[in-house]
Amino acid sequence: MIRVAGLTITFARGTPLEKTALDGIDLSVEAGEFVSIIGSNGAGKSTLLSALAGDFPPTSGRIFIDGVDVGRQPTARRSARVARVFQDPLAGSCGTLTIEENLALAAARGSRRGLGTALKQGRRAVFMERLKSLGLGLEGRMSDRMALLSGGQRQAIALVMATLAPSSVLLLDEHTAALDPGMAEFVTGLTRRIVEEHRLTTLMVTHSMRQALDLGTRTVMLHEGRIVLDVGGAERSRLTVEDLVAMFRRQRGKDLDDDELLIG
Amino acid sequence: MSAIAFFGAVELGLVFAFVGLGVYLSFRILDFPDLTVDGSFPLGAAVAAVALVGGVDPWLATAAAIAAGACAGLVTAFLNVRFGILHLLASILTMIALFSINLRIMGRPNVPLLNQATIITPFYDHGLAAYLVRPVFLAVLVAIVVLGLAWFLATDFGLAMRATGANPRMARAQGISTPVYIYTGMALSNGLVGLAGALFAQTNGFADVTAGVGTIVVGLAAVIVGETLFRSRRLWVVLVGVVAGSILYRIAIQLALSFDAIGLEPSDLNLATAVLVALALILPRLRKSRAAA
Amino acid sequence: MRKLGLALAAAVVAAPALAADIKVAVTAIVEHPALDAARDGIKEGLAAEGFTDGKEIDFIYQSAQGQPATAAQIAKQFVGDAVTVIVPISTPSAQAAVAATKDIPIVFTAVTDPVAAELVPSLEAPGGNVTGISDMSPMADHVALIREITPNVKTIGVLFNPGEANSVSLVNRLKEVATAAGLAIVEAPVTKSADVQAAARGLVGKVDAMYVPTDNTVVSALEAAIAVADENDIPFYSGDTDSVKRGTLASIGFNYFDVGVETGKVVARVLKGEKPGAIDVTFASGTDLFVNKSAAEKMGVTIPESVIARANTVVE
Repeated sequence: MIRVAGLTITFARGTPLEKTALDGIDLSVEAGEFVSIIGSNGAGKSTLLSALAGDFPPTSGRIFIDGVDVGRQPTARRSARVARVFQDPLAGSCGTLTIEENLALAAARGSRRGLGTALKQGRRAVFMERLKSLGLGLEGRMSDRMALLSGGQRQAIALVMATLAPSSVLLLDEHTAALDPGMAEFVTGLTRRIVEEHRLTTLMVTHSMRQALDLGTRTVMLHEGRIVLDVGGAERSRLTVEDLVAMFRRQRGKDLDDDELLIG
Repeated sequence: MSAIAFFGAVELGLVFAFVGLGVYLSFRILDFPDLTVDGSFPLGAAVAAVALVGGVDPWLATAAAIAAGACAGLVTAFLNVRFGILHLLASILTMIALFSINLRIMGRPNVPLLNQATIITPFYDHGLAAYLVRPVFLAVLVAIVVLGLAWFLATDFGLAMRATGANPRMARAQGISTPVYIYTGMALSNGLVGLAGALFAQTNGFADVTAGVGTIVVGLAAVIVGETLFRSRRLWVVLVGVVAGSILYRIAIQLALSFDAIGLEPSDLNLATAVLVALALILPRLRKSRAAA
Repeated sequence: MRKLGLALAAAVVAAPALAADIKVAVTAIVEHPALDAARDGIKEGLAAEGFTDGKEIDFIYQSAQGQPATAAQIAKQFVGDAVTVIVPISTPSAQAAVAATKDIPIVFTAVTDPVAAELVPSLEAPGGNVTGISDMSPMADHVALIREITPNVKTIGVLFNPGEANSVSLVNRLKEVATAAGLAIVEAPVTKSADVQAAARGLVGKVDAMYVPTDNTVVSALEAAIAVADENDIPFYSGDTDSVKRGTLASIGFNYFDVGVETGKVVARVLKGEKPGAIDVTFASGTDLFVNKSAAEKMGVTIPESVIARANTVVE
């Protein structure tokens, strides 16, 4: 489903600020897998997701999705295969547009946008049903502006938007990090449900070790642009948060200043 | 204010309503501060005037003016999208280039149309006074454009254009190829401004290369007055507001022209206009705060 | 607030009722020394014919402050107020007035080429409701003056805004006359006042003399060009006499006040019952010779005594 081969991303190449964010990543993700990605700040987690989404082209290496080499495709073209939820709740939707208009934008992802009415009756019925299933009462506020919603509500809708059009891959970039604990838990549960329902191949970046183990089928740890841990199946199900931290220390052979962050 | 002066102001307001709608598209929908309009307004006037003098059918001449305006918008969009020139700067470049281009098109700075048949000529002499024929004709044209825009912005394509301006990162993530919508929106915006220029030349009897000075200010005034007085989340109401804003702006000037009766000098015209527009913006708010208190 | 609004509206609506029966409505495209002088001249010319502002007539004046769209609104204001005569100063104001009415008499002034502007079909007995005064500069006289004061001049650089209709007509006329006299013309176009100095500098070394027609853009930044002429000893002539007072070398031009007086007399003929269409459009007369001695010194020119003796005004 996803195959990344020797992916290297270098920012500000040839300047004193040059930084290699990803350093020869090899990663294969099968259809239906749910990979949680952890690592300290600056490990390259978000860069990996952005590279998959198409925010910048690889410095070297290749990216295949569905067997297609997408490395040089711009974000907009790739989005037919890739849906994405950002960390910032404001980034994933248009505050000045209404809820239903945002949903209509997502529903047309991957298809030609023509001169048909965006808020068709059939579409609105689907939106209504999807919003109802969230249990947040948003189905009654479809013509409210997105800007009126809370961060959590916006992330919930962003998840719905990710599933309105068919896609192969779902990218979640610390999508609960900016939320209060209660809402974060709600969105985490929603993520589990939606991924199962739509059998999405998912990559989720998280700062929370617990979320990394609770959600998904496989966990990958990045450090300084390299994969330092890749566990799944039975081995992963035996892991505890403490094991994960210990493993990290063994891998890197040094103490971490940001233990707290990792356990969080 | 006499009826002729009043309907004259309405007429001019309706002509500049197309500028307001164009500026609304660039500034508000696309979030693209665009000064091209100072050049595309006289461009529309120039193209229409030269075509009319050359014997072209007035409707065709007007269509050519729209196309010319659209091309000007495309140039600005191209400079911005393809070469990453800051939108404001890109539009200024196009605007100053258009001054020379407009002179080239006309071959001189002023082309009179006082003796030409125009788009409105066939509508005279059907029982309605000439000073009413023009505003009625323009009102129909404005209504068609407002309905067309309201419909367009509610389509999948139009919605994608709104997302392009509101949140380009999200738009790209939703598969919206933002350059396509910037090109389309800028062409549409300046096409409308070109139409305004063509209509101005035809209703006032001349195309003048200096007629574009301050077009952007007039357009922005229409948008801001319209948005302030017609607060709504319904897009068509806002579009109607922009049209109303443009007319109100002209009525403010017309009122200011009568102020010599209360002792103002002719040189106070712009000041008086500014004060009237400011009053139009402030009065509804005062009333609201009084109602609240 | 509403009361204030009503009072204001009442004042505006009631005002026309107080006015005299004969209304002479004057309008110009922009505030400008020459155009303002013309306006004052019109008032004077009317008074000389027995139409004094505030007594026999109500003299109304509006400026479009540089906006052609506002010029259109002013024209409609006048038509709506059913004024007796409209007197537009400058081409765009005249076109706006002609577009606004086919009935109210129009006497334009300070329009360089009224036929090209389609204000009138011909200069002689134009017919319709329009007549007026053209201020086409006496270009042949200018070229003769340049040759008389500075006989060695072979090339003249001309500063003008190609966006101003009058200037283009004038420059075309200058080229005809200069070519006939065996002189070469170098054009230095400017589109805004801020560019005047750079354009003038660009002429240094290429021309023996500089000339500015009655161009609003250049004249508004005239001092910048004068400084260049002074520094480089280039004789700098102007198409209008007001500029000579500001530091150009010499000009034979109109006194726009006199042009206004002439216009006022034509307006008076219309007020006395003549049909505008029966009055020929005439070229403004009363051309004055102005020379500036201190400017001549700065530019390294000696003005012949014969010219000084002839001059109407000598600026020291």
